[in-house]
Amino acid sequence: MKCEWVRANLLLYMYDELADDARFELEQHLERCAACARERAATREFKETMSAALPVAEPAPNLLAASRMRLQEALETAERPGWWHHLAFDLGHLFSRTRFSPALASVIFIAGVAAGIGSTYKLVSQERGNVAAVAGDGTQPMESSIAGIRAITQQPGSNKVEIKYDTVSTQSTEGSLNDARIQQLLLYAARNNYNSGVRLDSVDLLTQNPDNMQTREALIYALRYDTNPGVRLKAIDGLRAYVKQDVRVRDAMLEALLNDGNLGVRTEALHLLEPVSADSSVRQALLRLAREDKNQFIRSRSRMVLAQLPEID
Amino acid sequence: MLGQTLGRVDDTELVREAQRGNHAAFEELVRHYDQAVLRLALHLTGSEQDAQDIYQEAFLKAYKSVGNFRFECSFYTWIYRIVTNLCLDHLRKRQVRKEEAPVAVDPGGEEYDLLDRVADGRAAANPERDLMRREIGGRINRALDRLTPRERMVFELKHYQGLKLRTVGEMLNTTEETAKNTLFRATQKLRAALGDIR
Repeated sequence: MKCEWVRANLLLYMYDELADDARFELEQHLERCAACARERAATREFKETMSAALPVAEPAPNLLAASRMRLQEALETAERPGWWHHLAFDLGHLFSRTRFSPALASVIFIAGVAAGIGSTYKLVSQERGNVAAVAGDGTQPMESSIAGIRAITQQPGSNKVEIKYDTVSTQSTEGSLNDARIQQLLLYAARNNYNSGVRLDSVDLLTQNPDNMQTREALIYALRYDTNPGVRLKAIDGLRAYVKQDVRVRDAMLEALLNDGNLGVRTEALHLLEPVSADSSVRQALLRLAREDKNQFIRSRSRMVLAQLPEID
Repeated sequence: MLGQTLGRVDDTELVREAQRGNHAAFEELVRHYDQAVLRLALHLTGSEQDAQDIYQEAFLKAYKSVGNFRFECSFYTWIYRIVTNLCLDHLRKRQVRKEEAPVAVDPGGEEYDLLDRVADGRAAANPERDLMRREIGGRINRALDRLTPRERMVFELKHYQGLKLRTVGEMLNTTEETAKNTLFRATQKLRAALGDIR
């Protein structure tokens, strides 16, 4: 059984894909088992043959230069993204520019979704036997506006059916960033929207007012739980001024540094924690990172920050 | 590697700038990755022309669709996914062309593609050793060509480019487990085809 397991995992071992404990066990076995050791030698020879016969070479500088020039020429004539693209993806930039005009009322247009009121409509047979849906008010509801069906009732002895359904209607509101309703919707959007672009825009606007405790909590929440690294980075941006004075912000940064899956987020968190590296929790985290983090940049940066700290007796 | 890591840290801001239409930001992003992209394309195709075509198409595609990038993976993974798909298309087309290519039979009875044999005009210190090396290289190339495009791609990314299987899975839009199984199949086929090579 052991040899079987070793043979099955030998390739992963040779390609450095085994977990540390599995690698240890496998190496222990190879020291004792001549047959498996021979298999390792054969696998190693295969790897070396494949590498030696077709070595990977860096592209020649001329080839790289020629490729870059060709690409540059093509980019100059390539179709650029349309104006709608800039509108859709430049909202964040637009709103960050208005940050510097606090005297002007910021006008925001938020499309919200609210549950509508119930309606009824009747199914009526037409001459050819097709069924048409007719709303109680005579209009045909769009499928996309139907939120759910509440009840279906057929009148006895009749081909008439009554259906009660809920509709979804899009609403909008506008106002300044200081408007309580706008703030409420932004806080809601930052936590609940399925669309990462909307969450990003909400968090971006919230960063303009992180003094508000609810806003700060929303930013901490986004940093901890948002699935999109762009949103988490934006939240870090909004919280940067509070790392020193607010221990909850500091803890959220530490968690991001230790656990975030995105290197950019971790690096930004490390950068913001450097001024507070005298904090014992931060120092402890840095010691651990300097010793064991898988990422070389994080390890070396942590060591550098620790080296600048005075010794504590 | 530190420089590469720092490059990835800056990518987020560069991507956002590129999404806003900043040409220079996109060019900077290209410079972070284009050498690695060209290296992969060159090794996989064995042809400078094909490698340049893949390079060009990959970055043009990236330029046109950078607006759709939503930071759900790293930009590195995203660009490599584009390149990998283009390489797979190339491998599939090549497989079709190979079936129509002129072949000959070497003294060992093995078929070889006439396009594989290129005379080496340099004066070699050991012509017999060079010949043997070219023949082994030719056999390995033929064995690689017998893999399916996905097997070839996984083997290239793992063995030659040194990527982790998890990353390979992400690039091929599949799981690490599937990438692992594909690697097993590829190496089994290769070892069966090359068993007598020393």
